[in-house]
Amino acid sequence: MARLHELPEPMYSHLAELPCPGFETTPWVSGPKLAERRVAIISTAGLHRREDRPFAGMDGDYRIIPADTPAKDLVMTHVSTNFDRTGFVQDWNVAFPLDRLHELARENRIGSVAAYHYSFMGATHPDQMAAPADNLAGLLAGDNVDAAFLIPV
Amino acid sequence: MGALAHYLEERGIPTTQISLIAEHTEIIKPPRALWVPFQLGRPLGAPDRPEFQRKVALAALALLEAEQGPVLESFPEEAPDAGQVDEEQSAAWSCPVSLAPPSGKTSEAEALAASLHREIAELRPWYDLGLEGRGRTAMVTFDPESAASLLEGFLTREEPPSPEGDLDPAVALRLAAQDLKAFYFEAAISRPGAETPDSGAFSDWFWKETAAGAALQAIRETCKDSRDKDLAMTAKMFLVPMPQ
Repeated sequence: MARLHELPEPMYSHLAELPCPGFETTPWVSGPKLAERRVAIISTAGLHRREDRPFAGMDGDYRIIPADTPAKDLVMTHVSTNFDRTGFVQDWNVAFPLDRLHELARENRIGSVAAYHYSFMGATHPDQMAAPADNLAGLLAGDNVDAAFLIPV
Repeated sequence: MGALAHYLEERGIPTTQISLIAEHTEIIKPPRALWVPFQLGRPLGAPDRPEFQRKVALAALALLEAEQGPVLESFPEEAPDAGQVDEEQSAAWSCPVSLAPPSGKTSEAEALAASLHREIAELRPWYDLGLEGRGRTAMVTFDPESAASLLEGFLTREEPPSPEGDLDPAVALRLAAQDLKAFYFEAAISRPGAETPDSGAFSDWFWKETAAGAALQAIRETCKDSRDKDLAMTAKMFLVPMPQ
């Protein structure tokens, strides 16, 4: 489990001492009811289509995952060895719940599922993600996304 | 993750997120976050539990309707089966493989490499069976035999082997290690009648009982002081989990 104080050493110290950026303000964008929102998944699990480049460095790059990507073509090349991957091997929804989003859209609990989803590799320093996030925000706006669902690993 | 939410929201995209480490989220203060008490690697809780996954997803998405923030809520349920792991059964889970070194090898490294190849040949039919049934594998870059050959190069040569294609040795080593772990897991759960181990039982078996685990730990030791800085970092940080 991920209760920090229950993790064994040296994982506890590694995560407890990980520098986290603090921000002076919290940006806030309002939107319509959930049932009217278009949702995109933004993962930091180092996911990509089988034919795409594996994640290799920590330069904040991301991969595009079209919504019609089948589970058999989505793979994980995150650098870390310190999280469980057996869950993802069994069922991609445990880290990338695209099937769940499609179900929620069919039941009108959310408005729609975005045409494209995205994955970064979470070991990247947050500063490295600022410029790619700028670019990504444009892509999300272009797909009329008004709900980015960010999922760590 | 929280910083990414901050950047996107600043650029006009409403965000909500799952948080696995509440202490980090409390510092970063992203607009909306749902902390979940799940294992790292399983942000939706558990595989093959669609109802539970749906509940987690909806709880995170519902935060989009909050009127002001930052919002950090806690998901009130543990992951299915968490805390119910039978420690004895977990410790007993195993997938028999022949780790005994073959005779006639001149060095410990050569013997370990031979054991690795033999182990993979033993597990291959179960992996193939599983792939046929599931139609999906988490192996990405290498087939198991190629991954083993690459590891053999790191075990037995003075200089790191040159992988095929455009991968540098450090990246190739990491991807081969990841592919082998996926291969072993998929093979182990595909034996007829085999139970799916929890992640701890699988990890114990892989790192303590298989030639693949032994080979990766040996490579960590031999490559951690490599002149190739990327290879040294990969050996130290990206081959073997911290608690091993």
